[in-house]
Amino acid sequence: MLQFSRFVTMRFIMAIVTLLMVSFIVFSLTEMVPANCAERYLAFKNTQGEQITVADIRAEEIRMGLDKPYVIRWVNWVADVLVRGDLGTSCILRVRVNDLLGNKFWISLGICLASLMLAYIIAIPVGIYSATTNKPGLNNFLRFISYLGLAMPNFLLALMIMLASTILFGDSLTGLFSKEFREAAWSYARFKDFLGHAWLPVIILGWSATAFALQTVRALISDEYGKLYVTAARARGLSGRRLLWRYPARHALGPIINSLGFDLNRVFNELPIIALILTLTEAGALLLESLARSNDQQLAGAIIFMLTASIIGLNFFTDVLLAVLDPRIRRGIMGSG
Amino acid sequence: MVDTPHTSGTGNVIDVEAERKSKEAYFTAGQYALIWARFKKNRSAMAAGVILIILILMGITAPFLSPYDPNIAGRDADYQNGAPQIPKFWDENGFSFRPFLYTLERKRSAATNFRWVTEVNKDQRRYVQYFVKGWKFYILNIDLDLPGDTFDFRLKALPIDTHLFGMDKGNIHLFGTESAGKDIFSRTMFAIWTSLAVGTIGVFIGFVLALMIGGVSGYAGGWVDSILQMITDAVRTVPAIPLFMALAAMVPDEWSAQTRFFFISIILGLIGWPTLARRIRTHLLTERSQEYVLAAQLCGASAGHIIRRHLLPSFSSYIIVDLVISFPYMVLSETALSFIGLGLKDPVNSLGVLLQNVTKVDVLLNYQWYFIPAGFFMALVLAFVFVGDGLRDAADPYSGH
Repeated sequence: MLQFSRFVTMRFIMAIVTLLMVSFIVFSLTEMVPANCAERYLAFKNTQGEQITVADIRAEEIRMGLDKPYVIRWVNWVADVLVRGDLGTSCILRVRVNDLLGNKFWISLGICLASLMLAYIIAIPVGIYSATTNKPGLNNFLRFISYLGLAMPNFLLALMIMLASTILFGDSLTGLFSKEFREAAWSYARFKDFLGHAWLPVIILGWSATAFALQTVRALISDEYGKLYVTAARARGLSGRRLLWRYPARHALGPIINSLGFDLNRVFNELPIIALILTLTEAGALLLESLARSNDQQLAGAIIFMLTASIIGLNFFTDVLLAVLDPRIRRGIMGSG
Repeated sequence: MVDTPHTSGTGNVIDVEAERKSKEAYFTAGQYALIWARFKKNRSAMAAGVILIILILMGITAPFLSPYDPNIAGRDADYQNGAPQIPKFWDENGFSFRPFLYTLERKRSAATNFRWVTEVNKDQRRYVQYFVKGWKFYILNIDLDLPGDTFDFRLKALPIDTHLFGMDKGNIHLFGTESAGKDIFSRTMFAIWTSLAVGTIGVFIGFVLALMIGGVSGYAGGWVDSILQMITDAVRTVPAIPLFMALAAMVPDEWSAQTRFFFISIILGLIGWPTLARRIRTHLLTERSQEYVLAAQLCGASAGHIIRRHLLPSFSSYIIVDLVISFPYMVLSETALSFIGLGLKDPVNSLGVLLQNVTKVDVLLNYQWYFIPAGFFMALVLAFVFVGDGLRDAADPYSGH
């Protein structure tokens, strides 16, 4: 137990180090955007009819701490984020990023995790079934679906669904809330309304994740299925579902759990584009808006950082889960620890 | 892999001889000959390969295939948002060897309430002509406009003005036209070219970076490897598209379309390296401790000699396969970026740019031919994926066939 907690601590420290590195990448990125925050904000004021001088900009820079060296500003930013959970202030809007994001971030994360769950709920049984039956027709069909999942990016799927629903129902199925609930506080009715809208982005985001997961599960199971220990188990008289669940499926579980983090990464990739098409008002759309329209690097950086942090969090969680589930890894930790 | 010889006992001498020869050829074949032999057996990969070659040829010969200039200069002002025109060989007026279209007449009169309407005149045929002279395309047309004047560079040479097909009178729009009257067929051809070019540059830059980082990491090992792997992992964790978006948002609006194009390709390469770097490192780490490397070292071979003569050939086929596999991701990323308006922009035609306008309800309901480029895009990505998978199976001597 002591060794296990030591493993968890080590893994946690590693996650923090990765997080720091990512924060450095993201921070550098926001720094590379031409013109700093003070200049951008004052230029914006200028368009509102206020006269801005160079001295004003310098004063603003000092007020915002932009005159300090790069590394110090990074340390400040990271410390604010990690210790106080304060993501800083939006460049243009002059509102705290935390207030801007609000629960939008959690809604997006929820949608993404739900689509990931959907992907595996479909992929695990279907993948196992297709790996163990030798129906070439079914297998070729599944292979084709998997390839299509890659070749038809989610945004095309979203467009097709929109096209179909506009023609068939006269409703383009966009948005996350009905009009009357958009600004309302969370309540049961609002939640129900949310679920009524959220299923579409969940399915669309889950589409290519499902295709990928299907391929992974199939490949893993069919790899394991040909191995000698399965033959040995069969020789001992095990067959059918018992054989499958006791041996190959358990073996394949490790790599699947391991790949969850990267699956989440892939889903995040699609999020802003889907958000644009379906006019969802959550973090993905906010990211797009902050980048495409207002060039608001503070906000964009914060969103990318939050997305990456949740991937790192998931990776940490799956590693610990794997150590709990897989006796080989557990022994590795105990043995060497 | 190789068919087991038929030992039918009373085998014909010539057959046995031929079989021995083919076995001999198989055992002495080089690595690439073996890969090709295995690849040929994979029917879906071969079919995808043919489609891929056709698409690449379409991209390369885009200026020749396109009857009109894909940009605003080639617009057809009389046929905006026009439906696709499919040439016919036959109608109620009889058969013609040369495919033809009907003449469209724009009229307005009291009968039409003085609005312009387009009418089809079935009696006036327009015939398709081949190898017609048309708009001029310059093969060498470089217009580099970086910030500052020193690096500006302009060159226009080698014009082409012969095109595969055109009409004797009026215009032909195989895939219809968009809102400004630009020919969607010509735009699609050029878009295939652009997407391929972006992908190639992106893959190349990613490859060079991956080779350097993965190579150093794998060959040096130890703490260098640990540090480089941590950095690679950190870069890999950041979701790529949001990262692309952030980088692409840095492009100033006043950059020319071509400069933008190069910048976007470079970004794709700069983010695409980690997966490949990791693979190269893993290959190097495993190969470096193999016995044949030790044998070479004992024979007194230098490090450079070992890398060049033993290590590189041992995984060059894997690298080629990896490059083919990573190609569709580049095309996908570019399309996604352009689609949301942060990638390439209008004068440059890429598949993402062509799909930019399709989200409008107007288009969804009335002008569905805007979606035609999406079909080409999917064919391109699917072809690459199938060929990549086929190559991977063929390059792996242990893939169980």
